[in-house]
Order: sequence, then C-alpha cells, then structure tokens
Amino acid sequence: MEIGYYFALSALLFCVGLVGVLLRRNAIVLFMCIELMLNAINLTFAAAARMWGGPDGQVFVFFVIVVAAAEVVVGLALIVNLFFRRGTVDVDVPQLLRY
Amino acid sequence: MTLSLPGPTMPVLAQAAADTAASSTTAEVVLFWIFAVIALGAAIGVVTLRNIVHGALMLVVNLLAVSGLYLSLESGFLSVIQILVYAGAIMVLFLFVIMLLGVDRDDLLTETHLRTRVLAVAGGALLAGALLFGFVGPYTGDASVCGSGGEGGVECVGLVDAKEDGDDAGVAFLGRAMFTRYTLPFELSALLLTVATIGAVLLARREDLAPDDIETVDDAGLLPPDDEPGEPGLVGSGGDEVGTAELREEHATHGEGAASGERRDEREG
Repeated sequence: MEIGYYFALSALLFCVGLVGVLLRRNAIVLFMCIELMLNAINLTFAAAARMWGGPDGQVFVFFVIVVAAAEVVVGLALIVNLFFRRGTVDVDVPQLLRY
Repeated sequence: MTLSLPGPTMPVLAQAAADTAASSTTAEVVLFWIFAVIALGAAIGVVTLRNIVHGALMLVVNLLAVSGLYLSLESGFLSVIQILVYAGAIMVLFLFVIMLLGVDRDDLLTETHLRTRVLAVAGGALLAGALLFGFVGPYTGDASVCGSGGEGGVECVGLVDAKEDGDDAGVAFLGRAMFTRYTLPFELSALLLTVATIGAVLLARREDLAPDDIETVDDAGLLPPDDEPGEPGLVGSGGDEVGTAELREEHATHGEGAASGERRDEREG
C-alpha cells in the first residue's frame, strides 16, 4: 500500500476538521473538530513512521495524544466555566475583550 | 505487510526483512479502504450533524476507524492507546460535559451566514487540494514504503540500529525509543499532564458560591447573553461618548426587564 494514500486520507480529515472549526459556533463541537484535526496529524505521523521504518513517528503520536488530552481537559473546564457565567457555549457571544 | 496475525504486532522490522513483494497485500488494501471510508464519513458527520451527542458519537466512530488504520500501519500499540485514551477517556469527558451542560439540541449551523459557509468550504477544499498536490503527490510511488524495494525507494532509518541491537520490533521498539532518545519529552509530558490537571481543578472550582446558592446560579445561567450576536453595531465603534457600560445596561433593561438587569449587576459586581 503506497503511503501516499494514508497521507491523502489524513489531509482530507484535517480539512474536514478545519471546515468544522470555521463553520460551527458551538464550543464543544469546536473542540471535537480540533480533536479531528489532531487525529489526522497523528495518522500522518504513524504513516510516516511506517514509511521510514523507525519508531520516532509513533513516539510523536504518543506525545500528541498526551497534549490533546491535556488540551481537552483545560478546554472543557473553560467551557463549563463559560457556560455557568454566560449561559451559552456559543463562541460568538463572549466579547468581553472587545470593548 | 499482511495482517494475518501470528504475532499480534507483525512488526515493521520483520516485515521489512521479509520479502519485498509482500509490501502491499490485498488485506491491507481492503482494510485501508474500509477504515478510510468510515473515518471520512464519520468526520463529515461530526461537522454536519446538529445534535451534539450524535456528533460526539460520530467522533467515536472516527477515532475507532483511525485506530484500525493504525493497525494496518503495524502500529498495534498506538491502536490500543487510541482506543483507550481517545475513544475511552477523552470522549467520555466530552459526553460528560455535554450531559452536564445539557446542550444537546443546538445548533447554530442554520444561523451561520451563507457567505461564511461557502467561504469555509471553499477554503477547506483549497487547502485539501494544495495538500494533496504538494504533500501526497511525492509519496504515491511504489517505492514509498521502506523495504518495499522499489527503485530509489525510501531507506529504512531506524532499521539498521535496531537490527544491530537485536531488537524486536513492536512495543519494545517503541518503548526503547521513548525511554532513551525521548526521555526528556516524556518527563515533560508528565509535567504537562500534572499542570493540566491542576488547571482544570482550579478552573472548575467555584469558590464564590455556597451550595444553597445553586438556584440563583441556575437562574443566572439561563439568562440570555449580554449582547445579542445580531447587533454588533450597538456598542461596536470604540469612540462613542456614552460609556459602554451604560449602553449595555440600557440594552439589558430594554431587553429583559429591570429585574434581570439588576441581577446582572449583582453578578458582574
């Protein structure tokens, strides 16, 4: 199996996630789309690791998963906070820093 | 590169050392296409489904499909980690927050401007095209996988050292790299997880509330947001002589009646 197919799939997944980030305004969905993008990058790393036959790509996938977990934990705590203060998870609503 | 599983992780090294023609078996091709279609469809589902819970479940499907792709890339350890951490822990966290906030029926996709939607999709398609052209194109040849033996093929980087060490591939291969060359990042990731945990605890704690204030908070949580997204012009330009706070208060009283405005003051004060 040529490795380019994996790259193509992960590129498409990344772009779907990007379109989701641009389109949706619900903060939780936004985070899910970011997870989608991180996942696509992970797939690229794993495919590259297979291509080169080395372990480094897989190690990087491991670290990306760790970072994604940390990001989700903090981000969801922020979303919960935002919901309790503002009553919404729409990312277009909070504009405190605008004035 | 077959997935016939005599060794659960039929390792990279053994594969590369095996004969070169086995580099692209039908099993892998079939697995790839099945999981690729599932992953892509589920990803589109995450973006387009309006119900957040459905979106989260689609994300689970996507993560499982990617885990299957890891399996077909001979990364058995990553596949398991993907299911445990992503589909297990992270998605449970997502669903828990969705349950907690009760935001299961949104959303908002209808309120997005048509222009925004067209631009977003066009931008995504443009990026996808650029990636496919510049990033995927060079790697579609027959010799794109190390050990596949094509003309001018990729050389296996980690292979030689590992062979000299008498290393078996798979988890030991990965673990040896992680705990020797990548020890410092590994420790730093532990630190990062600690920091994230402390941050989440601090963020989620609300010390300003006694337990019997919960009702008040619930009322406040149901209030409409301060500024409606549809009227940015109200306080938009920075140079008005009227203070923005007054404007907001007026807006609030106008919109929700005096009582809620009062409550908001209490909340913000």
